[in-house]
Amino acid sequence: MSEKFSKAILANEIAPGGMKSVELDGNEIVICNNGGKYYAIQRRCGHMNAPLDMGTLDGIYLTCPMHCAQFDITNGEALSCPVPADLGPEVLPPIIGGYMQNIGMLMKHVHTESIRTYATKLEAGWVQIRL
Amino acid sequence: MSESKINIESRKKSLHYFFGKVVEPLGFKFTPDEEMMNFLLEQEVILEGKHGIPFCPCQPLRNDRIRDMKIVCPCIPFHRKHFDEIKRCWCGLFVHKDVLDPDKLPQLPQKEVNNE
Repeated sequence: MSEKFSKAILANEIAPGGMKSVELDGNEIVICNNGGKYYAIQRRCGHMNAPLDMGTLDGIYLTCPMHCAQFDITNGEALSCPVPADLGPEVLPPIIGGYMQNIGMLMKHVHTESIRTYATKLEAGWVQIRL
Repeated sequence: MSESKINIESRKKSLHYFFGKVVEPLGFKFTPDEEMMNFLLEQEVILEGKHGIPFCPCQPLRNDRIRDMKIVCPCIPFHRKHFDEIKRCWCGLFVHKDVLDPDKLPQLPQKEVNNE
């Protein structure tokens, strides 16, 4: 890990409770503003790589937009597995049902990993990140 | 995620945060019995690890999605009438805001309230 902090965005670009994605040296990062305190996390979900900046931030908890896995933005810890899908009572045509069964079997082996976090500091109105 | 990878304490803390925001406008709060609250939240984390959803720990799952979704914690909106009568939810994780001692609350069978 580098000791150098890089300017990422102006602090006033994110309202409290908001998020914004940036790319720094090839790293996709989401910066979160939790009541004036800034956190930086990897942009990709630890489950299936969905962009977390399109999810929901509530306090220090971020919910992935794809399968609703949740993470703690202060330490990147994965807090829950994805919420299971509801396919409803409708019986699917055999070809689609078989496909979904196969996907379901594969999904059981997909784990949700914790995500990377980055140190941040606020200086001269800029949110800076240590990569 | 496999069940063993979930940190139970971290998940309990986040469920406490989210549930609190849901039940507060409904006139409920967490039980003042902290030992009971911790025990029930832990059971919900275990159920969530198994099923992907934090179901009520004191109700059986029936493999009927419509009925099972009515016991996803906090299930207060689905059983409001009964919970308002007994001033708590079935498992006791939540009580009415004015309740100080949940042990003194009367028991009242659901059938005496309505036919939910």
